[in-house]
Amino acid sequence: MHLDFSILPRFADALAYGLWLTVRLTLICIVTGGALGFLLALARRSGSRLLRAVSTVYVEFFRGTPVLIQLFWIFFCLPILLGVELSSFVSGVIALTLYTGAITSETFRSSLGTVGREQMDACVALGLPARVRITSVILPQALLRATPTLLSNAISLFKESSLVSAVGMADLMFVGQNISNNTARPVEVLTAVALIYFAVAFPLTRAVAVLEGRILRKLAV
Amino acid sequence: MFDGTRDQTALVRMEGLHKSYGAVKVLQGLDIEMKRGDRVVVIGPSGGGKSTLLRVLMGLEKVDAGNISFGGRPYITVRNGKTVIDTEVRRSIGMVFQHYTLFPHLSVLQNLVLAPCKVNGEGTASAKARAQALLDRFGLGARAGAYPAQLSGGQKQRVAIARALMLDPKLMLFDEVTSALDPELVAEVEQVMLELAAQAMPMVIVTHDMWFARNIASRVIFCAGGVVVEDGPPEQVLGKPIHERTREFINRVFHIRA
Ligand SMILES: Nc1ncnc2c1ncn2[C@@H]1O[C@H](COP(=O)(O)OP(=O)(O)OP(=O)(O)O)[C@@H](O)[C@H]1O
Ligand SMILES: [Mg+2]
Repeated sequence: MHLDFSILPRFADALAYGLWLTVRLTLICIVTGGALGFLLALARRSGSRLLRAVSTVYVEFFRGTPVLIQLFWIFFCLPILLGVELSSFVSGVIALTLYTGAITSETFRSSLGTVGREQMDACVALGLPARVRITSVILPQALLRATPTLLSNAISLFKESSLVSAVGMADLMFVGQNISNNTARPVEVLTAVALIYFAVAFPLTRAVAVLEGRILRKLAV
Repeated sequence: MFDGTRDQTALVRMEGLHKSYGAVKVLQGLDIEMKRGDRVVVIGPSGGGKSTLLRVLMGLEKVDAGNISFGGRPYITVRNGKTVIDTEVRRSIGMVFQHYTLFPHLSVLQNLVLAPCKVNGEGTASAKARAQALLDRFGLGARAGAYPAQLSGGQKQRVAIARALMLDPKLMLFDEVTSALDPELVAEVEQVMLELAAQAMPMVIVTHDMWFARNIASRVIFCAGGVVVEDGPPEQVLGKPIHERTREFINRVFHIRA
């Protein structure tokens, strides 16, 4: 077998285009999904039984079904039910947002749980109204504690977003598959694609470890 | 030295306070009246309800029955089984806890200015100036930019006291604020409290440190089983207690320390 990696530079632009879509999708969905996850976490800790029930069912459902099914459902069923055409990018964002919301809600739920009752007591003793307690004390600490896990969630999303290639979105995976098929050089091309994913994900994984140590030290009071 | 003791009008009046956690009856009809110049030290056996008393006074806990008035104004009452707290009155009370409870994500200076800026609408510049002055006074001037995790326990506790003082409280509550400290750090915190005492700040202090109690108290209350057992000047309660239960407790505590 003869391997020829020199064919790759020709496709650098196409691969870069695919990577850019993957990165955009990941960044958008970690923000929208994170926001959804935060609201879900609040709902799951709320006093209302209805809110708790609805949010729990939501989270369990999206964690308990394959992402691929969720993608297909949003791409092919949602337009039929709503009667509107959605661009594939919008569909991708919706699907991954819904999924990421379920995942990050667990992250936020545990980080909210670590802000102790004593912090709440201190807030009351200082006369801080509920709004200030949440925005200035609880939220920043919960966010800070959640950051390493959120970053891990983002890395997972970056990798799992490759599933959108199955519904025809031209992300890094999709572009790689296409080049691989057209050149009949799967070993070279798919190896390169794997390495590109790794080159982005690995430094972030290391960053999570460092960040985690720092944040834990800072909040250790 | 403590000229605040001359003012004899009642600052706090607690009447018939009852409080239980489930089946555990913690406060069982507590009556305490505090004059404006009083520095009350509360002592008593573990589980006797001292922390609960302070938490109720701070408005952190519900009560089952009884009422508290502050400066002649109703502060905490029970209506139809519900605890009603006048939050405006609550804002004139400050509390310092055993475990510091500083906000770990904020610097020392930010810890101090948060409440004045967010609650009282004070300008940042003026709050920061006051905070810096307080920190200087407590020997923490150089630590304004530090985060709580970078401070010693004694420093943290002094910051916690300064943070409460930023709101100009009319009454300060201290719940075993030196219990979590290494022995060599206790004095610096007690020093700050003695300084407040010298300025006639009304206080309620829970402590197991009998030496400190004797030094700072104008009055000592021995609390056990959710009621006041003995209440009097420190020389009496700590020196020649009238009640057998107090005597037993004092003997035991001093014996352990000796
Ligand atoms: N949040 C709570 N839930 C249930 N029981 C509680 C709670 N807080 C206190 N108690 C109980 O109430 C009783 C009085 O507790 P409290 O903390 O007021 O005692 P204390 O006099 O401060 O004791 P110590 O000297 O150990 O601090 C104890 O039996 C304790 O177990
Ligand atoms: Mg206690």
